Amino acid sequence: MTDSDVAENRRSEVLPAVASPKAIDSPYPADEFRVQIESLEDIVIARQQARHLASKLGFSKCNLTLIATAISEIARNAVEYANGGEVVITAISSGNRRGVKIVVSDRGPGIADIPSVMRDGYSTVNRLGIGLPGTRRLMDEFEVSSESGEGTTVTMKKWAS
Amino acid sequence: MSNDELETKYVATLDAFVSKPDEGLLLDAYELGRTALIQGLGVLEIASLHSRALATLLSRSATDHDRSRLMESQTNFFVEVLCPFEMTHRGFRDANGVLRRLNELLESQAKRIAFTLHDEASQLLAAVHISLAEATHDLPPEMVARFEMVKDLMSQIEDRLRSLSHELSPPVLLELGLCPALEVLADGVSKRWGFPVTVTSSLNAEIPPTVQTSLYRITQEALTNVAKHAGASRAEVEIRQTTHKLVCSVRDDGIGFDSNPISNDTQTGLGLMEIRERVAALGGVLRLQSHQNQGTDLTVEIPLEN
Repeated sequence: MTDSDVAENRRSEVLPAVASPKAIDSPYPADEFRVQIESLEDIVIARQQARHLASKLGFSKCNLTLIATAISEIARNAVEYANGGEVVITAISSGNRRGVKIVVSDRGPGIADIPSVMRDGYSTVNRLGIGLPGTRRLMDEFEVSSESGEGTTVTMKKWAS
Repeated sequence: MSNDELETKYVATLDAFVSKPDEGLLLDAYELGRTALIQGLGVLEIASLHSRALATLLSRSATDHDRSRLMESQTNFFVEVLCPFEMTHRGFRDANGVLRRLNELLESQAKRIAFTLHDEASQLLAAVHISLAEATHDLPPEMVARFEMVKDLMSQIEDRLRSLSHELSPPVLLELGLCPALEVLADGVSKRWGFPVTVTSSLNAEIPPTVQTSLYRITQEALTNVAKHAGASRAEVEIRQTTHKLVCSVRDDGIGFDSNPISNDTQTGLGLMEIRERVAALGGVLRLQSHQNQGTDLTVEIPLEN
């Protein structure tokens, strides 16, 4: 599926192929997709864009699914707790490695105590090993930053090789 | 959502995905897996749900073309359904690693405390003995007799410290290995509680230190349970090795139990829970067999890495 297909089929929040600031020090042409998230439908678009970009970067099929899962788990929090937010998907590289960076940010109430929401026993969902701590295990790098009242930003990276 | 509703929705979603695969339906597949997980379905249950859905759709497929399209699409769908379970599985693996490291940490702490108790405290006590001997040297005999009592008490303290230190970190385990350590343990239990404990062992390969320590602790805990709760007249410890695993059993002829001891008795429960955790950290299996008045057989199997 090409980018124009997506734009035709889905709503217009997708802004494909904006040059990333990373492009300067990257040997590969970097792609970036921004998706405004307000509903499950928007999560679908973000997943689709991430899968599309990651498959171009050489991720295995299973890893594409894990990346889509990570987006679902994090973006659903933005929809549930913060009335939506934004997902930015970027191709990144470091040395010979290529990868994908996903930043999910919202302007919601924020998380007062990040270490406790990252703990496996924190909520029912966490106890099952999904939610934030579960998502951390799917990705190579995972970082949560939050300011009370200012919203939350989750930055995740996964490397293709 | 009831299991029936889940299944109906599963079939409908898979059906829609096969007719026209898209990301939205993949997200639905993922959400179905997530719901199933939260509702307590296991991997086997979700796998059989999937195969039932597949069978239903296969029976509805009219042509070979339909069937091959179904078979192609269902994999992507199923992978998506399984993803939440994958997360849980990774969490379990992580937790096991943490448990293992925690165990090692506790063992090394126990070792340090044991060393302090045994070596440092007994040196101090020895110094007190010498000072006492010097102090009483010139005293009249009736006074010396009173100091003898103090000496007796000090010897008792030394004995207690030594046995406490050995319980914390049995030096024989480090020096001689698992089987001799189990014999010393059995001997100690037997003397303290007054029933015979036999040990039979047949081991031929090198056992990793963490496994040795764990098996020692498991046996210790199991024998303590036997001594405190079983009212047994004898107990036996058997440890043997097959190609891929170590099997260790602790059996007694005591009062046994019919129901799950973990829910009945907090004290035994805690001991058993500790055993269960230790076994889990090594990827092993715990089997507990018991009937009222027919004794108890606690067997653990620990896989050996090659």
